[in-house]
Amino acid sequence: MVDYDAFREEVRDFAMTRCPPEIRAVVATYRKLSRKIWYPWQKILFEHGWGAPGWPKQYGGTGWDLKQRHIFDEVMAECDCPPQYHHGLRHLGPVIIEYGSEEQKQRFLPGILNGKDWWCQGYSEPNAGSDLASLRTAARREGDDYVVEGQKTWTSHAQEADWMYTLVRTSKEAKKQQGISLLLIPLSSPGITIRPIRTIDGWHHVNEVFLDNVRVPVANRVGEEGQGWTYGKFLLERERLGGANVAPAMRNLERTRALLAEELAAPRHAQKRSLLEERLLLAEAELRGAQALGQEAIAATMEGRSLGLLPSVLKLSTSVTYQHVGEIALDAVGERLAPRFRPTDASGANAEAPGIEWVQNYMYGRVRTIYGGSSEVQKNVIAKQLFGS
Amino acid sequence: MPFTAKPIIGGDAFDQACKIGLEVDGELAQLADAADQAACLRRHWDAITALGWITTAIAEDSGGAGGDLSDLAALVGGAGRGGLPLPVVASCGVLPYLLADQPPLLSALAEGRFRIALIPAEAARDDEADALRLTDGRLTGAAVGIETPPDPTHALIVVGDALMLIATDAPGVAITRYQRIDGRPSADWRFTAGAGETLACGGEVTRRAAEARDVGALLTCIESVSAAGALLEQTIDYLLNRVQFGVPLATHQALRHRVAEMYVEYENLRGLVTHALRSTAAGAPDAWRDIAFAKLRLGEAGRFIAQSTIQCHGGMGMTEGLQAIRLARRIMMAEFEYGDRSFHAQRLIATAA
Repeated sequence: MVDYDAFREEVRDFAMTRCPPEIRAVVATYRKLSRKIWYPWQKILFEHGWGAPGWPKQYGGTGWDLKQRHIFDEVMAECDCPPQYHHGLRHLGPVIIEYGSEEQKQRFLPGILNGKDWWCQGYSEPNAGSDLASLRTAARREGDDYVVEGQKTWTSHAQEADWMYTLVRTSKEAKKQQGISLLLIPLSSPGITIRPIRTIDGWHHVNEVFLDNVRVPVANRVGEEGQGWTYGKFLLERERLGGANVAPAMRNLERTRALLAEELAAPRHAQKRSLLEERLLLAEAELRGAQALGQEAIAATMEGRSLGLLPSVLKLSTSVTYQHVGEIALDAVGERLAPRFRPTDASGANAEAPGIEWVQNYMYGRVRTIYGGSSEVQKNVIAKQLFGS
Repeated sequence: MPFTAKPIIGGDAFDQACKIGLEVDGELAQLADAADQAACLRRHWDAITALGWITTAIAEDSGGAGGDLSDLAALVGGAGRGGLPLPVVASCGVLPYLLADQPPLLSALAEGRFRIALIPAEAARDDEADALRLTDGRLTGAAVGIETPPDPTHALIVVGDALMLIATDAPGVAITRYQRIDGRPSADWRFTAGAGETLACGGEVTRRAAEARDVGALLTCIESVSAAGALLEQTIDYLLNRVQFGVPLATHQALRHRVAEMYVEYENLRGLVTHALRSTAAGAPDAWRDIAFAKLRLGEAGRFIAQSTIQCHGGMGMTEGLQAIRLARRIMMAEFEYGDRSFHAQRLIATAA
């Protein structure tokens, strides 16, 4: 039997003593996380043996149970440690462990674990968003290579990644979910062009990636040709519990409460402060509801019970509450800071206006109800189950 | 298979309470005359008293069943789902808590000899000048909108730091009885130097009264979650069967999404209330905060679910004819019992600073 309380203390002690203060400060002040922040942190975790909390021990994982992993994520958020960069660890890694060849495991897993290889995800396309199976980027076979032609979009971190795990169409079957394959493509390959997308929050997160006759060795295909959709779904299934970690949202709420106290400390703001504090309290109540459901989801998974609609409920609840909290923070600083918000260069924060991150957060926060299955898609999923068809 | 709500705490007590609730609700709906309705409620009150409901959480050495919070949760959950318009939370949960060290009164309550209404410290009044006060052991002031058992024989009153029992027919007590919007017996009380018996006095009374209020708030939340689950089921059923323009309403995405939103609110509230039940049962020092957040959420989520039920039923949603709509009205009332949302928000904000 695991002593979860002792484990929580161990993680907290590690987080507070081993995560460099300058890295924690980046998280606490909502500055942009990039490879140069993530990498040293991943290296520290790796050297401690905690590089991959979710992987089996034989591949360098921790072998922790689900509850330990959840506690780890929670404590990391509470201590302002960056959430681990997920593309390799949470997305691609488990797919390679499950479906990759022995050679692929030896070649790719160590770089993910020690943080030396940086991955991004080539899934969405201009005409394949929520309807991902409509993707059209094509790979045709030429000898021992695939030749890939097409365009990906919303590709986060492509500007700093080494590799892109990419869903491509390898044949045109009647059912669009068939004929999709998963390729691992070095971003240094000839024929790749990466173009930043300007987003409303002024930060450079996402890119368009153009693939113009890019040659990819067949050895870089994960699993079977035509089975890419299955691997993509496997990945999403593993992410279904993602919403159970409400800790980052709770931490954000606490920071917002501190912001109200600081920003609205003057007596002339007393009324405004109490109005905003009341709204924040309602958001907290909602978030605590989601937190309780997150605990239920973890217990259900550990006991092998079905999660039912919980993942959709968690996604909907937490994303909307996150946005409410973002609006409250915006209302606290908006008069002073909203007019001064403007896009910045790749270096990150708008340094001349301290606190501008609250405006940026608000803008960025709009994506929470769009990505990872939009609210409308989640409501369709829920309604289908509730109405029985 | 369309959605079926799962009780927070199920079991025989839940099933029995639900069955009786549906029976009473159905009978009442057939009666137009207020006196007939009052008689119906009295008959059922005597029946559930005889079934031993009130003894549920009374200690065994005081002649009770010695049950705990989860036994109460099953009972009020069932009553909530069935829409039973009787004060189960107050009589089975809150009063036994307040009277825990008054065995003779507990017996009188459990046997149905005393039908006691609870008047809490912060009872509403029409006029500030009517605040309840004790002068030389005599009670003066007014309290309005007080939920009562049928034909109340006594009121148990928290006034200042005193706990007082006063008979309905004592000199200086005037009572106006009526049936509340959720079908429950209620009364407005006026005391003019009313002579009652002071049961206890001092800080201990204040402390226990606050705890009793939180027990009431928690049980009311459990009752309401259960009612909200029934509302969801009945709304889904209505939309599946109501045909307009040649198609069931359930085919319209606008309505499907509204129901999905109801479900998200329901689940969120259920999660919070279940958590509050668990932390209270475990005696967690911060359990009161969990209860306060749950009650605050009940104000938000409960109202949204009730309003959506009415909206999804269209014109039928404005009638008293459907059980769903009567339950919706009950949830609206539940918001105001044992501290409304503003009350609980205030106490949370006061300690957050």
